[in-house]
Amino acid sequence: MFGALLDAERGGSFGLRPSVPFQVERCYRPGTNVLETTFHTEGGIVRVTDVMTLDGPGLTPFRELARRVEGLAGQVPLDWRIEPRFGYAEAATRVERRLGMSVATSGASALAVQCWNAHETATDSGAIAGSVDVRAGESALIALSMAHQEPLVFSSREEVEGRIAATGRAWAGWSAARAYHGPWGDAVIRSALALKLLVYAPSGAVAAAATTSLPEEVGGERNWDYRFCWVRDSAFTMGAFLGLDCAEDAGAYFWWLMHASQLTHPRLRVLYSLNGGAHTPERALRLRGYRGSRPVRIGNGAAVQLQLDTYGELFQTAWLYAAGGYRLDNDIARHIAGMADLVCRMWRRPDAGIWEVRSRPEHFTQSKMMCWVALDRARELAERGLVPDAHVQRWRQEALSIHEFVETRCFSDVKQSYIRHAGSDELDASLLLGILLGYGDPTTDRWTGTVDAVRRELQSGPFVRRYTGDDGLGGSEGAFLTCSFWLAEALARSRRLDEAMALMDGLVGLANDVGLYAEEIDPANGAFLGNFPQGLSHLALISAALAVAEATAR
Amino acid sequence: MSVWGAIAGGFAGTVVLTTVLRAANQLNVTRIDLPFLLGTAFTSDRTRAKALGYVLHFLVGLAFALIYYAVFLAIGQSGWWLGAIFGFVHGVFSGTALVNTLLPLIHPRMGTPSTAAPAVALLEPPGFLMLNYGAQTPLVSLAAHIAYGALVGGFTALGS
Repeated sequence: MFGALLDAERGGSFGLRPSVPFQVERCYRPGTNVLETTFHTEGGIVRVTDVMTLDGPGLTPFRELARRVEGLAGQVPLDWRIEPRFGYAEAATRVERRLGMSVATSGASALAVQCWNAHETATDSGAIAGSVDVRAGESALIALSMAHQEPLVFSSREEVEGRIAATGRAWAGWSAARAYHGPWGDAVIRSALALKLLVYAPSGAVAAAATTSLPEEVGGERNWDYRFCWVRDSAFTMGAFLGLDCAEDAGAYFWWLMHASQLTHPRLRVLYSLNGGAHTPERALRLRGYRGSRPVRIGNGAAVQLQLDTYGELFQTAWLYAAGGYRLDNDIARHIAGMADLVCRMWRRPDAGIWEVRSRPEHFTQSKMMCWVALDRARELAERGLVPDAHVQRWRQEALSIHEFVETRCFSDVKQSYIRHAGSDELDASLLLGILLGYGDPTTDRWTGTVDAVRRELQSGPFVRRYTGDDGLGGSEGAFLTCSFWLAEALARSRRLDEAMALMDGLVGLANDVGLYAEEIDPANGAFLGNFPQGLSHLALISAALAVAEATAR
Repeated sequence: MSVWGAIAGGFAGTVVLTTVLRAANQLNVTRIDLPFLLGTAFTSDRTRAKALGYVLHFLVGLAFALIYYAVFLAIGQSGWWLGAIFGFVHGVFSGTALVNTLLPLIHPRMGTPSTAAPAVALLEPPGFLMLNYGAQTPLVSLAAHIAYGALVGGFTALGS
């Protein structure tokens, strides 16, 4: 509905700002996802509190966004303007007055604008606008009530104010219950709060990011839709949920993951829709794109790629879940065993790798390592009696074969490092996942050499590029924040704690003003690139912080 | 004609009517949700409202089938086509008077045109022909009611 980031003219927006020159600062209310924006003008100061309210008692809107304006000093004139655009600005939108308020409708979706002391001045075919002078001690409130496939719900001001307060309390309570006492505590809790916002509550799925098509290169074509759940992220998601004592989220997520993957069993898709569907067709929208970066895509064509690493990450997820004391039911146990058999049949095939390259498939080293992880975890689960053990001998033998392949064909004596894919001389930061997910001993020469090679060839300051070599796409990209956190965690697990902590200190300082991270960062100017906020960046931060805390405790 | 036929037709007709409206919902044609509207008259809990609303909707469907049956008896004939005509009249009545005018009057959580600043949350009223819930709502509702009437009329005639 509000896609101005992708097309300032047509995308739809909700603007609320002083009508005079101002300076602005933003912060989250501590421990919450309640955003406070403070405007300083010559005549005074106002604070805008933005809240996506949570369900409360009584009849509540399907979804609600509340924006509360409070005068803190002097007097500040503000203008507000809402331009709702349904269906990515492709659906016709009708705006009309009804029951003393403005309502925008399109098909089975509707939006009502309720305002108190905010003085609506105009409603035309495309917009609802108003202006307000706020003095110290006064407040105004604008609430957007949204409905989809049902009638709208109109609330009283007291009810909206009550939900704003209750939402703040609910988030603060949730944060206080998180069990983390290690370094970078604020960053970890902020990451957990961001992760919680990426959870699709009706199913338990976790979106990779909240946006689509924010470009990896401004003006370029690397614009993807990340509003799906990647199996690739599953082990980090489970690790974060368990590490921060989010048992309910861990259970819901694991159940969703196994339920979604049933549709394609025993094969895994790279990603699934948040409802658990395997069909995510990709198409381009007629939007101009962020700073002209086209195409703007919805859907994701990578879903049908073969990415063998996903099996390792799923098995690690199941292993973490079981190690956390949770039960794998019989159906899930059988499915896991079936997937292990599939890995035995498939690991020799080339694939698109974790980075979903659109060049020709290769024998990516990280994919092979993750196949080894899959079979090793399957063996462990079988030995504990948690999955059927009829084929455990075969899993053991195939794991040995994978290990031999990796050690003989995926290691460069020249670089003293594992390499991007068999027969190449390129490097890939995803190799570090071999350390993070337990492929081999991180203190061996081979792993020490690999970490050194990544630092030498891919790292620049706190920034780490994903890989060297071709990926089948034009243009370039920035540094990948997740890889930086992986490097920090790899250093911590390799007993290079001082290096890990120094890198983490630098990375924590790269967050934006409210503690969030995008997918990538431009090393030249520190600008974020790619979708935002990026779940994997925050998951990698949590994972690295937990690893450092654990290593410090040892 | 048989009262059991009318009741069976009322059940089948309500299944079809509910399915047609729900499908139109999913196809983004309308925001009408009759079980939600009925259920929220008794509870503000969304989940309970929908569950209760479905039960009420089926009871109302059976009650209307009995009214149809009484009229069929009075005029001495029934059938698919006659039922469809009844359904058409029923659909027009629903859109203009029953859901549009009467429901907001008796529904404790629904706004009316005279509502200004609510003290508690209110549901959006349907408006004339239920157009507030989408421009295609009258057509969808009319089609669903014609199907309902045809099934009640047909089942009633089959029972003779």
